Amino acid sequence: MYILQAIASISHQEVFQKELFWSNLHALEAETNIQHPDYKAFIPANALRRLSPILRMGIACAKSCQEAISEPFDSISVGTGLGCLIDTEKFLVTINTTSGDILSPTAFIQSTHNTISGQISLDLKNHAYNMTHTQNTLSFEVALLDGMLCVDEGKKHVLVGAADETVPFLKRLQPDIVSDEYPLTSGATFMVIGSENKSDAVGIVACELSFKQRDLTTWVDAFLAKHQMTAAQIGLVLHYDALELNDFQNKLSYAPLVGYNMSAPAFAAHLAVDWLKDSANQGAVLLINNMDSNKQALTLFQKA
Amino acid sequence: MKIFVTGYGVISALGNNVAENFAALKSEKSGIKQGEKSFTQRYKVGEIAFSNEELVDHFQLTQHASRTALLGMIAAKEAFQGHELNDTIRTGLISGTSVGGMDTTEVEYKKFILGEAENREMYRHHPSGTTSEQIAAELGVSDYINTISTACSSAANALMLGARMLQKGHLDRVIVGGTDALSSFTIAGFRSLMIFDEEWCRPFDESRKGLNLGEGAGYLVLETEETIQKTGKQPLAVLSGWCNASDAYHQTASSPDAIGACLSMKGALEIAGLEPSAIGYINAHGTATPNNDLSESHGIKTIFGEQHPPFSSTKAYTGHTLAASGGIEAVFAILALQNKAVYPNLNFSNKIEETGLTPVTQFQSKEGIQHVLSNSFGFGGNNSTIILSAI
Repeated sequence: MYILQAIASISHQEVFQKELFWSNLHALEAETNIQHPDYKAFIPANALRRLSPILRMGIACAKSCQEAISEPFDSISVGTGLGCLIDTEKFLVTINTTSGDILSPTAFIQSTHNTISGQISLDLKNHAYNMTHTQNTLSFEVALLDGMLCVDEGKKHVLVGAADETVPFLKRLQPDIVSDEYPLTSGATFMVIGSENKSDAVGIVACELSFKQRDLTTWVDAFLAKHQMTAAQIGLVLHYDALELNDFQNKLSYAPLVGYNMSAPAFAAHLAVDWLKDSANQGAVLLINNMDSNKQALTLFQKA
Repeated sequence: MKIFVTGYGVISALGNNVAENFAALKSEKSGIKQGEKSFTQRYKVGEIAFSNEELVDHFQLTQHASRTALLGMIAAKEAFQGHELNDTIRTGLISGTSVGGMDTTEVEYKKFILGEAENREMYRHHPSGTTSEQIAAELGVSDYINTISTACSSAANALMLGARMLQKGHLDRVIVGGTDALSSFTIAGFRSLMIFDEEWCRPFDESRKGLNLGEGAGYLVLETEETIQKTGKQPLAVLSGWCNASDAYHQTASSPDAIGACLSMKGALEIAGLEPSAIGYINAHGTATPNNDLSESHGIKTIFGEQHPPFSSTKAYTGHTLAASGGIEAVFAILALQNKAVYPNLNFSNKIEETGLTPVTQFQSKEGIQHVLSNSFGFGGNNSTIILSAI
């Protein structure tokens, strides 16, 4: 089991540095705002000005996690579906509208997917393994699996996270290319995993990916059996799109709570962890990432 | 557990496959020339002559996609040629890219800005993850797909993740490498950073001014010992060492004392269980920017001392192919082991005064070469080193 040492999210819900927040969650309206914390507590004011939301959110979540544990991270693994869209678009506009040879490099530098993980290492003066994964709606899970591999290799404080930001341009691609079922959102969730157990801890048992369409019922049965579990032991199933899984009593779509961004499953992982921290809840949590039927993921959480 | 390389593929300005690339390396002929596209014509670049349509036709690809994905398909197909998909051999693809489908996006986005009609369907090719899904589909691979995006160290990191996943038994076989096409976005980006050389780039030379960009893709097939017994594949080399470390110095510049580079070289030597003296050739990152080559020279001296192995940068052959470079240069490293030869650092004439290192200046045979160390350093202080060893 991979034990959670810390977790932090910034999203359209009020969850940053909060615990037992389930009772405060609400379905998002069409135009909702991100619940930004006061970033000055995490990022120097002069640096803050040039940072887009995805960078602010990622750095603040990572630093919040760092403050919660005693040792520096010994690995960093970050996922992002579309990366730093605001700076990417800004640079695309710049190169198409600026005449002459002088271009400001800031947007280009910050458009790279690994700006998030790079800035985290830079701000924390962290020299450890530093990876950025991007696999559309599975970006969180591929980063998580790398983090779990780091724990298997003996790393003790592995930072795993995912972040995405939206831009108005994406609306133009609805509904054919970008889903319009839920509000377009931004968000970041970071967590620290390791192998050392402690009291009242929550852990990740396993995560499995599929890159082809497959029957979820059979897959879920096999996945639970592999980890010596039955449907009856699952207290909550979190899923994105509608699904038919008759064996489970308590199922909830997290899509209305987080909206559409490719890192939404990372926020759902935080929902799972927070649900397990409530002593009133019994059983494990199965997180089903079915945002895209062509590639899906199962992640199992339980009290350690 | 040994990680075997059982296939390799490459496309670059030097040629369309492994044989053509090696022939160009041997003849000391650079693939860099004055650009021929509207956005490259002002620069010397390592451009691949085919248009996208020509790539699809010539290499018999089944999909139309971004140029990044097409180049990736071509090199990955060459690497995977002769390998068979089989239910008992879990096979994945890990591909590095920095810009993904930006080459298609930037064309449509420009129309959007100018108020012209776009083909919005083209934006489907944009996500970097999609380029890997398209490459995987071309090979029929679906057990695991992942994309690494750590700028210029992406492909090296893909090799590293593949090796680690094989070691822990998560996959039996994995195709690893990277791809990047030239795009107006990256050309403008490096222009904004003012690190282009208008002339031919001169890695490790005192007079170096900056880099020439290039495009291409390079992939390896990695298998475990157990898998080789099933596939009967003849290994080409062993991927024996890997390490990634963070420089944590600056978003784009390398630290003067090469902290990250030293950590990654040292870490890779440790994983391989090798002393620095065992390395027979270093394929340096060597972009020819004033900052990288000075910092990397310090790093090489710190790890290897004054008795450093022969080293060179092949960027003056291919241009800097960004996320693809670690994959392309891994293929070059294996070719060095197979042919017992080391490559010249083209366009070199004078040592960097501060460090005084002289790279290899001619294609030459190198008997007894057993291990090649290859560096790839990216934005965000992302430093990676891999070591390839002879069988």
